[in-house]
Amino acid sequence: MSSSQTKDINFQIDSFVEKLKRRQINGSYHVALETCQLLMKVVSVAKWNHIDQLIQHIRQLGLRLEKAQPREFSCGNVIRRVLAIIRDEAFENEGNNNELNAPMISSMFSLLSTNDKKSNIQPLINSNTKSNKYHDLKSIIIQSIRDLIDEISSIDEGIEGMSADLIHDNEILLTPTPDSQTVLKFLLKARQKRKFTVLVTENYPNGVEKAHEFIKELSKAKIDTVLIPDSHVFAVMSRVGKVIVGARSVFANGGTVSTAGVASVCECAKEYKTPVFSVAGLYKLSPTYPFDIENLVEIGNSGKVIKFSESQLVHNTGLTNPLFDYISPENIDIYITNIGGFAPSFIYRIVLDNYKTEDVDLS
Amino acid sequence: MAPKVKKQKEIVKDERLQAIVLTDSFETRFMPLTSVKPRCLLPLANVPLIEYTLEFLAKAGVDEVYLMCCSHADQISEYIENSKWNKPWSPFKIQTIMTLESRSVGDAMRDLDNRGLITGDFLLVSGDVVTNIQFDKVLEQHKLLKSQDRDHIATMVLTKASALHRTRSHSEPATFILDSKTNKCLYYQDIPPVNGKKSSISIDPEFLENVDEFIVRNDLIDCHVDICSPHVPAIFQENFDYQYLRRDFVKGILSSDILKKSIYAYITDEYYAARVESWQTYDAISQDILARWCYPIVPDSNFLENHTYSYENEHIYKEDNVVLAQSCKIGSCVAIGSNTSIGDGTIIENSVIGRNCKIGKNIYIKNSYIWENSTIEDSCNIEYSIIASNSNIGENSKLNKGSVIGFNVKIDHDQKIDENIRISSSKVQNLDKSFITSEDEEEVDDDDDDDEDENSFDYEIVGENGTGYIYESEDSDYDDDASTKPVNSLMYQMFELTLSDDSIVSQSQIKHKKKRSYSTTSIATDYGEENFEKEALETLARALENNHDLDTALLELNTLRMSMNVTYHEVRYATSTALLTRVKEFIGTDTLNNKEAVEKIFRQWGSLFKRQIFDEEDQIDLLQTLNQVINDLGLEKQTLLYILTILYDVETLEEELILKWWKDNEIDNEYVAKFIEWLEEAEEDDSDDE
Repeated sequence: MSSSQTKDINFQIDSFVEKLKRRQINGSYHVALETCQLLMKVVSVAKWNHIDQLIQHIRQLGLRLEKAQPREFSCGNVIRRVLAIIRDEAFENEGNNNELNAPMISSMFSLLSTNDKKSNIQPLINSNTKSNKYHDLKSIIIQSIRDLIDEISSIDEGIEGMSADLIHDNEILLTPTPDSQTVLKFLLKARQKRKFTVLVTENYPNGVEKAHEFIKELSKAKIDTVLIPDSHVFAVMSRVGKVIVGARSVFANGGTVSTAGVASVCECAKEYKTPVFSVAGLYKLSPTYPFDIENLVEIGNSGKVIKFSESQLVHNTGLTNPLFDYISPENIDIYITNIGGFAPSFIYRIVLDNYKTEDVDLS
Repeated sequence: MAPKVKKQKEIVKDERLQAIVLTDSFETRFMPLTSVKPRCLLPLANVPLIEYTLEFLAKAGVDEVYLMCCSHADQISEYIENSKWNKPWSPFKIQTIMTLESRSVGDAMRDLDNRGLITGDFLLVSGDVVTNIQFDKVLEQHKLLKSQDRDHIATMVLTKASALHRTRSHSEPATFILDSKTNKCLYYQDIPPVNGKKSSISIDPEFLENVDEFIVRNDLIDCHVDICSPHVPAIFQENFDYQYLRRDFVKGILSSDILKKSIYAYITDEYYAARVESWQTYDAISQDILARWCYPIVPDSNFLENHTYSYENEHIYKEDNVVLAQSCKIGSCVAIGSNTSIGDGTIIENSVIGRNCKIGKNIYIKNSYIWENSTIEDSCNIEYSIIASNSNIGENSKLNKGSVIGFNVKIDHDQKIDENIRISSSKVQNLDKSFITSEDEEEVDDDDDDDEDENSFDYEIVGENGTGYIYESEDSDYDDDASTKPVNSLMYQMFELTLSDDSIVSQSQIKHKKKRSYSTTSIATDYGEENFEKEALETLARALENNHDLDTALLELNTLRMSMNVTYHEVRYATSTALLTRVKEFIGTDTLNNKEAVEKIFRQWGSLFKRQIFDEEDQIDLLQTLNQVINDLGLEKQTLLYILTILYDVETLEEELILKWWKDNEIDNEYVAKFIEWLEEAEEDDSDDE
């Protein structure tokens, strides 16, 4: 635990923050993975006397990372997952070692009077088992983070597995998120057993190129693919069997943030009672509530909408180019995650399983 | 972990990308503010300009950055030292280079060459670039072109805009002539400011030989981002009269038959790139940043560690701890720094307000930029203005379009500032401040202070209790016309620019008045000619004494002429004086007699005149000048005769013209009269023979 090591970790943290700010790391998947890797290094270098110190340290780090790219939610989600892991492990550890204390705390009397006694006992236990316990805990936490990395990197497999059950033969699907790798893999996997048609929206202006790549991949796999303009969604919706949507983040209320244009597609789907499936890895689940919807939406490059060389337009028009859309839970029928499919109303339960309420607010 | 990092670094080192940032613009467009702070530290949307450039370099994956600092170099290096770029996790190594004696981009490049820092192709940017361009694409193309064309020495990055785009420089627009297939630059011509008098450009057809198709483009934003090969500084070294990167270097390279180098352009349509080089572009780029044209370079990216901007609808950016009164109205494209308070009934549109500002009640602010710690009292009206840090604007004042309020200026209540007035807190002399190193500036300032004991503030402008002086713009000297002013001002006056094809200005007006930047004394005198004469005489005396090469002497003279912008008459006068002084010296010391001395000097150096005369008038002028100088120096009359015979001999002067001059000017010189007689006879003989 030399000072060079801590220097090194600070170096890595700061360059990671800078990269996030510069958008050199992009996409929730990459951000989640890199955050995990960084956290693993931080934990392996960190020193702590009490587990609360580590938790506090990671919370502060989380706050910085979140601020660096405030609308990349997966970063915060991963940090909260890791915090939950640490708390669980610490609780288990303490649960085993502090059985002596347990009965004392349980009585009302001891709560008031045993403060000094406890402090006498604790050093005794600590001095005997501290170093052992400390290293155990550390390796357990690192192992858990490693598991989390494995989970994230293999998340698509879990989701893919369900595709054949959800997609029928000769069905017409529509996806308004050609930028989602999860959706792509989901469809490709389904193709192995089923034959179906996919309608893909063009996603002007931010996702046109990605849409083209997306349909290329699909048609390579011999899926009937149709590229439709964004304005055409309502017209084709009556024929669509299912809408499959990728997600950027899923909130505790069951709402989700996705690519711009998805909200209107979901409204159309609701009008025709077409089921909307949202595919999302577990790391996209966020324990926060979307109170300020406006603030969730990143506004992108205006130059994508109008060419900058159009001097008159640039000068005289005000324009915004939102990159995301918020979709309320009523407009989504089911979330397909790597641990199964859930109704939006059930998301809060999964959030509770994976996160600790005390970590929702990191500040 | 540590060894791994090191290994990576070693691999990178083989192909490290270097960037040279010219932090000085060598211009005075941002005066009087640049007399206090260098241009690259002026805030744009509350972030110092240099940050945008460095952000771009960081994203471009540059490994080493060298900042060439000239004026206010101490401030720049102090800023960099305390910035995040100097921290160990900075994406590149940064180093400031002091080139205090540089007076132009050319000087800086020569200094760069002398230092031998450049190892390979490097990125040359000025310290005021704002761009989100994806640099790897540019670099890729540069490498591709380089593999195809071995003479390729530079790639310029240009953005497509339109001729009168607000973000395009209106004070330095330029036309590029490109090969339409390869984007090879064939010709470059800067055109005078768009001020209603549109001029023509003329192209030598030679440039267009061997070209199938070319395009003339007057719609490009030149953001001064270039990838250059190591030859570039060397070329500057060889051509020491090059001052400007475009006007001299690009043009010089393209029109040179000897160098045979080529320059390519990279034109991008999807990315944003622009340069803050005048108030007009300052305004435009600020608005572009606020309207997210340069995404992800937007205020809410919070590139500076302590910034806390967040985005709200309609492009409003607010930091933490902003106090807005309930009835104030914030329009679109507004950024407000922390701890700023805005009073009741105030309306703000398209503006940037710095930190710790106090904006009173019922104020109207439109398209204005108010820097940190300023106070604006109730009921002011501010349009298209800049208010620098720590200023104070009194109640009920009105700032009209284009006004610039300098640092620490105080304006009294009920004042009306007219259009395009610039006010600074200390008297800035009408000198080329940016060309003078900071030390010199202090000196000048000290001098001013002495004067100021009697001189009081310009009270009719700033009011009884105000502090500040009017800064007289030097633009008129700089760009030929006083009409540059509106172009360089903050206002965006499209409607005033009438472009008529009928008003084609003659070529002579396009000539650029080059700055007198070669003066060796730090305080430039107002009389360039006198100065030139002195300099030229010294130069020639040196050349004569040390027996320099004729070409070298000529080149030096030419450089002087260009840098001081004098006519050839002056050059001839100076040359004559220098040569004849030398003759006089010989005679005075009795080393040679009159004839021998003239023979010696003019046989060798007479050809100097050859390159100083271009038509008949010039020849006659030379004769006149020689006669005058001989009289001035008190040399014997036959001297002129000797000179004439020699110059006639070396074919500098033509027979007819000598005769013509003799006839037109009745000169009392019996020796020359004989020569003329002989000439006339010879001519007659000639005609007889025929």
